[in-house]
Amino acid sequence: MSLLALNDVNVTTEAGGRRIDVLRDVSLAVGRGELVGVVGESGAGKSMVGRLIAGMLPKGFATSRGSVTFLDRDLLAMAPRERTGLLGDAIAFVPQHPMTSLNPVLSLGAQFDEHLRRLGQDGKAARRERALAALDSVHLPRPADLLGRFPHQLSGGQCQRALIAMAFAGKPDLIVADEPTTALDVITQARVMELIDELQRDSETGLLFITHDLRLAAQHCQRLAVMYAGEIVETGPAAALLSDPLHPYTRSLVAANPGIAGPVRRLAALPDHMPGLSGFADLPGCRFAPRCPVRDAACAAARTALTEVVPGRFVRGAGACRKQASALAGQDELPRAAADAAAPPILSVDGLGKTFRSGRDWLGRRRAPVVAVDGVSLDIAPGEFVGLVGESGSGKSTVARLLLGLETPDGGRIVVDGQDITGPFQRTAKQRIALIQMIFQDPQSALNPRQRIGRLVTQSMEVRRPPARWPERLERARDLLGQTGLPQDTIGRYPVQVSGGQRQRVNIARALCTAPKVLVADEIVSGLDVSVQAQILNLLLDMRAQRQISMLFISHDLSVVRYLCSRVAIMNRGQIVEQGPTEQVFRAPQHDYTKALLAAVP
Amino acid sequence: MSGEILGIVLRRIAVAIPLMLLVSILVFIVLRLIPADPVAMSMPPNATNEDIEALRREMGLHLPVMHQYAIWLGHILEGDLGRSIAFGQPVFKLIGQSLPATIELAVLGALFATAIGLPGGILLFRLRGRPSEQAVDVGSTLMMSIPEFLWALFLILVFGVAFNLLPFAGRLPPDMTIPRVTGFLLLDCLLTGDLTAFLEAIRHMLLPALALALGTVPLIMRLLRSSLLDVIGEDYVTMARLRGVPERRVINRHALRNALLPTLSLMGVQFGFLFGGTLLVEVIYSYPGLGNLMVEAVRNTDLPIIQGAALVFALAVLTINLAVDVVYIVVNPKLRRAR
Repeated sequence: MSLLALNDVNVTTEAGGRRIDVLRDVSLAVGRGELVGVVGESGAGKSMVGRLIAGMLPKGFATSRGSVTFLDRDLLAMAPRERTGLLGDAIAFVPQHPMTSLNPVLSLGAQFDEHLRRLGQDGKAARRERALAALDSVHLPRPADLLGRFPHQLSGGQCQRALIAMAFAGKPDLIVADEPTTALDVITQARVMELIDELQRDSETGLLFITHDLRLAAQHCQRLAVMYAGEIVETGPAAALLSDPLHPYTRSLVAANPGIAGPVRRLAALPDHMPGLSGFADLPGCRFAPRCPVRDAACAAARTALTEVVPGRFVRGAGACRKQASALAGQDELPRAAADAAAPPILSVDGLGKTFRSGRDWLGRRRAPVVAVDGVSLDIAPGEFVGLVGESGSGKSTVARLLLGLETPDGGRIVVDGQDITGPFQRTAKQRIALIQMIFQDPQSALNPRQRIGRLVTQSMEVRRPPARWPERLERARDLLGQTGLPQDTIGRYPVQVSGGQRQRVNIARALCTAPKVLVADEIVSGLDVSVQAQILNLLLDMRAQRQISMLFISHDLSVVRYLCSRVAIMNRGQIVEQGPTEQVFRAPQHDYTKALLAAVP
Repeated sequence: MSGEILGIVLRRIAVAIPLMLLVSILVFIVLRLIPADPVAMSMPPNATNEDIEALRREMGLHLPVMHQYAIWLGHILEGDLGRSIAFGQPVFKLIGQSLPATIELAVLGALFATAIGLPGGILLFRLRGRPSEQAVDVGSTLMMSIPEFLWALFLILVFGVAFNLLPFAGRLPPDMTIPRVTGFLLLDCLLTGDLTAFLEAIRHMLLPALALALGTVPLIMRLLRSSLLDVIGEDYVTMARLRGVPERRVINRHALRNALLPTLSLMGVQFGFLFGGTLLVEVIYSYPGLGNLMVEAVRNTDLPIIQGAALVFALAVLTINLAVDVVYIVVNPKLRRAR
C-alpha cells in the first residue's frame, strides 16, 4: 500500500485565454519508509507537486483531473480545515531556504514551542523537553543555548537542521523536502543529507525529495521520477536510472554533468531551453520534442504515455526515442589545454591580503576585525583557466573584488600583463578596464533592466574620451553577440525579453567588450539549469580556444571547475590551502579540507 | 538586554545634546533677526533716547550677539528662560503650567492614531483584491489630504454642533475645577478621586486628540498594508502555513510582528509632527496648552516665550524619536547585540 499516491494528476491554469496543463498526467507513489526523488530543472513543475500535496496551489491553479490519496484518503476531496490539520502533523515540509524560513523576530525556542503546541503537546516545560530532544536528534550541540537564539545568529546548516528537527518532531507519515540543500555549501549539504537518511531510516516516514540534482537524488533515493515541462518522463530505481538512463532527456541530464572522475569529454548540451508555462499550450505532443536529438514527425503531434519498458522502469515516449541511445554518447575526450609554462603569467597575484575592520558594538567598541583574504598568491598563464574553489565565506568573492579594484587590498601586489594595478580604483581604473573584466554571478541583477542589450554589452565604451559614437558601438555589439552565440535580433531587446541562459551570454559579452586580458567569473553558472550550464561552459571553452583569453573561474562546483580549468586553487578561511594541476589535486588531494570537499560531492 | 538598551539610550542622549545646542542657536539667531524690537515694545511712546539706551544696557542688548547667546544659554541651564514681556511672569513657570496639557493631548492623539491605524492597516491588507479595498483606499486618501486644523473644525461642526455629542472648548466644563497637583489633568482627577471630572476631561480631549490623529492614521494604514504584503510572501510565512499554523495566527504572530518594524519607524517621525500639530488644534479648541501659549506669544511678539516654547518642541521631538528607537530595538532582535 502506498502512503502517498498521485494518479494521473493534471494541474491547470489559464493564461491568455488558453488552458495550460502545468502538470500533465503526473503519477507518483511514496511508500512507508521510502525515499523517492523528483528530479527536474527549474520550471519542470517539481515544486508544484509539493504545493499540490500541501493543498497550496497558487491562485488561479486548480487540479483538473486525477486524484491524490494519502493514507487511503482522497486529499482533494477533503475539507480545507481538515487538510490544514494534516500539515506539520502527518505531512511535514523541509524548505529550500533555511535561513529565511524561520521567523526573524522570534527565537528558535518560541518557534519550536508554537510548533509543538500545534502538535498537541501540553505544558510549556514538556514542550521545552521535546524541543531539546529534537535538536539533539539532529546533532546540534548545546540545544538549550540554541533555543534562546534568533535565526540571524545561526548558520544556514544550523537553521536547516533545526527545521528538519521540527519536521520530524511530530513523527509525520510523509515529509516533502523541496531542494533542502540547494542553499547550503557542499560539505554542509553532504552532512544534512546524511542526517535526513539517518532520521528517515529510523522511522516509518516516507520522504519525497525534490531536487534539480540528479546525482544527489540518485545517491540517496530508492526511486526517482524525472520531470520535464510538467510531465514525468521517466521513473525507475535510482541506480539504474543514473547508470542507464532511457529517456533522451534523462540521458542529456546525465551527459550535461561533467562529473569529478573519469575522462573529460565535451559536454553534450541540449539546444535552447525548457519552455515556460505559456509555451506548454503549443506543445500538444511530447513536450521535449523541440529539443530532442532523436525526434521524428510523430513526436510533436501525438501525446505520449508512460510505458513500462523494463520491469519497474517507466518511460514516456513513442518508442523511437529509446532505440537510439548512442545519439548522445560518444563525444571526444577534451584535450587539456596545456598552458605555456615558459610564458610570463598574464595575471600575477602575490601575498594579497584584506582585513575588514568595520562596525562597532553598542558601547562604541570596535568589533574584532575579519580577515577575509590572507596572503593569497596566484598566477595565471595566457590562455589558462584557473579555478578558485571554496565555500561561502571562504573569501573567494573578496579576491574577485580585490582584482577588480572594488576593494583596495591591505597588502600584496596585483600585476596584469606587466602592469601593477594594486592601488585604489580611482587611480587604476583606466588600466583595469582595459586589462581585466568581471562576469557577475546573477545576470538578472547585473544587467540594467532599462537598457537594451546593444547598449548593455558596450557599456565600457561609455567611459572613453571622447565617448564612442553610436554606430561604432552598434558594430561592436553585433560582433560581441556573434562571439557569444546570441542571435543578432537580441541587440534591441531588454534583458527581461531573453531567457536566463541568453542573459548570462549577454553578461559574458559585456565583459568581453574591451577585449580584456583576464576575465574574473564569480559563480557564473551556479544559477543556471544543467542543460543551459553545459551550453555556457562550452561557450567558455570555445572562447579560450579562439581568443587565448585567461580566466579566474570562481566556483563552489568541483565538477564544473574540473571541466574548465587546468589548474585549481582551493580556498578556505581566506587562505589558499592547496593549488596545482586540476587532475592531480582531484586524484590525490593533499590538504584535509580538499579531501573533505571532494568526499562531499554526490 | 536591559543593559544594552540603557547603553543605547545613553548614546542617543549623548547625540541629542549637541543637537539641542544647535537648535538653541538657531532659535536664538532667528528671533534676533526678525524685525521686532523688544526695547521699543517695552517703552512708553514718549521715552527719550537716553531711556532707550539705558534699557538696552540693562537688557544686555549692547553686547555682541555671541555674548548675548552665552548669557541666555547660561540662564536656560539654570532653569531661567527669562520673563514674559506680555505676562510679566517667568517663562519657565508659564511653560510648566501649559506643557502637561499638551503632553496629555499629544499622547492621546498618538494612541488614537495607533489604535485606528494598525487595525486599519490589517483591514486594508485583508481586503486586498476586493472591491471594498478601493473604497477604503479612497477614504484614506481623503483623510490624508485634509490638514489637522480642517479636521478640527469639521469634528466641531459634526460632533459638537450638529449632534451636540461632545464638548469642544477647554479642558473641563466651566463650573468644574480640579486642584492642581501634577498639572496632568487626568492624573490629578484620579489623585483627587473625582471620577466625574475624569470622564469630563476625557470627553473634552476626544475631539482635539482625534483631529490630531486623523492625519497620521492613513499613513500608518498604508505602510502597514504594504509591509504586510511584502512579508506575506516571505519564506517563514509559507513555512508557518506548511506547519499547519492557522491563517489568523500566521498573520498576527508571524507576518504582523515583522511588518510592524517599518511602521514603527514611520510612527516615530509622525508623532513628532503630531506634537507640532497641537499648535493649531489647541487654538481651535481653546485648549490651554503649550500651543495656545505659543500662538498667543507670537501674536504679542513675546520673544522669551517663543524661544522657550520652540526649545520645548524640539526637545519633545527628540524624546519621541528616542522612545521609538528603544521600542524598535526591543522588538527587532537583529539590532540587539549578537550573543
